[in-house]
Amino acid sequence: MGRIIDSGLKELSATLHRMGELAHRAVLTALLECLEGGEAYREVCEMADTLVAMADNVEEKTFELIARFQPVASDLRTIKSYMKIAYDFTRFGRYALDISFLNKQIGGLKNCEEWISSHVKSMGGKTLDMIKLSIESLKSHNPQLAERIAGKEKEVDKMYFEFLDKLIKNSTTSKCIVSSVLIVRYLERIADHATYICESIIYIATGQKKVLR
Amino acid sequence: MASKFEIQNLNAWFGLKHVLKNINMKIEEKAVTAIIGPSGCGKTTFIRCLNRMHETTPGARVSGRVIFNGVDIYGNGVDPVMVRRKIGMVFQKPNPFPMMSIYDNVAVGLKLNGVKDRKILDAAVRRSLELANLWDEVKDDLNKPGVSLSGGQQQRLCIARALAVEPEVLLMDEPCSALDPIATAKIEALIRKLAENYTVIIVTHNIQQAARVSDYTAFFYLGELVEYGLTKQIFENPKHELTERYLTGEFG
Repeated sequence: MGRIIDSGLKELSATLHRMGELAHRAVLTALLECLEGGEAYREVCEMADTLVAMADNVEEKTFELIARFQPVASDLRTIKSYMKIAYDFTRFGRYALDISFLNKQIGGLKNCEEWISSHVKSMGGKTLDMIKLSIESLKSHNPQLAERIAGKEKEVDKMYFEFLDKLIKNSTTSKCIVSSVLIVRYLERIADHATYICESIIYIATGQKKVLR
Repeated sequence: MASKFEIQNLNAWFGLKHVLKNINMKIEEKAVTAIIGPSGCGKTTFIRCLNRMHETTPGARVSGRVIFNGVDIYGNGVDPVMVRRKIGMVFQKPNPFPMMSIYDNVAVGLKLNGVKDRKILDAAVRRSLELANLWDEVKDDLNKPGVSLSGGQQQRLCIARALAVEPEVLLMDEPCSALDPIATAKIEALIRKLAENYTVIIVTHNIQQAARVSDYTAFFYLGELVEYGLTKQIFENPKHELTERYLTGEFG
């Protein structure tokens, strides 16, 4: 027979899994829009709003679980971390929205030099991989899997600074500079939040607060 | 959700002492309702009024209506024994009949009601022990005395005994206060399971237990119902200052 708290924890993790999938879709949609053109702002906006509403639900539920079930040890770590992870997922949605907003406001990267869009594309791919990895770690609560994000985070950071260097040395239009700099900045932030999620998973599984950045 | 009980202007006395004052509440079907409040607030008297146990105490008196399944159990011509068959009770201390086996402790209610067919009795004993999450632990020892079990097992035996006569409601008066934390956790999980099919009303001194097991919580103070609502709401955001002070441990 399960414990009384288990059904609440299950409900929380199911919500977080759905948030993860939605956050991934939001970032992917915004990136595709910027790279290939199109108009997805409204769609991305809806996804970002949904993520915020879901995070509110997670917060409500964690509050209830703390008030009613006096969680301790791994239960307490899980509940605390799930609240943080829900916030991380809302940040994915928010950055996706920022990317989409750039496309709407100053235009995407479609007409920029090829090296710019290809750099953003490969950095975007890496960042999406990191989101996937953070979701998989969350689903499995596997700290070894979560640790694998550290290497990816360093790669994204490196790509970010390399890109800024290259932009400074190349002469290109200011529109492309502004757009691409902001996009890679958002991607770098997304990568950080994916890393925070993996740090939370390690905390849930082991109780250790490990920094993977 | 449908109401199992509708309590209207319920008052109770012990002699001249007015212990329950004008209680009005509806109790939901197939849910757990917890009754909390400091000692002497009327919690136990309240649930004893719900199956006409209060009046069995000499000098005790009740007024008002307790409408159960649409019928006032204090109405003319209502047989209190029939009421108690539908509304079973589990007490603070596990109280299996000391001279009876595990089997007979569960079967006794049916036997008293004239059931003699061994097959029917066997099936009822097994079903009740399974419902009480005790079957696997005692199935090879059904002829051992009920009192040979551990405290937690004895309490589950008492729950099985109450379930054997197929009640619709279980009243529980501090069912875990004599038990250790592990036995308590088992009873609490059992209460949640039972709420899928039964209406459970539990009196508890343990505020956290009320928070864990119940869907609704009623806070009683000095014989009055101070606040009643969803457990989530009562514990996260009580509306009444007295409730807040009781839950946060300012008095009790």
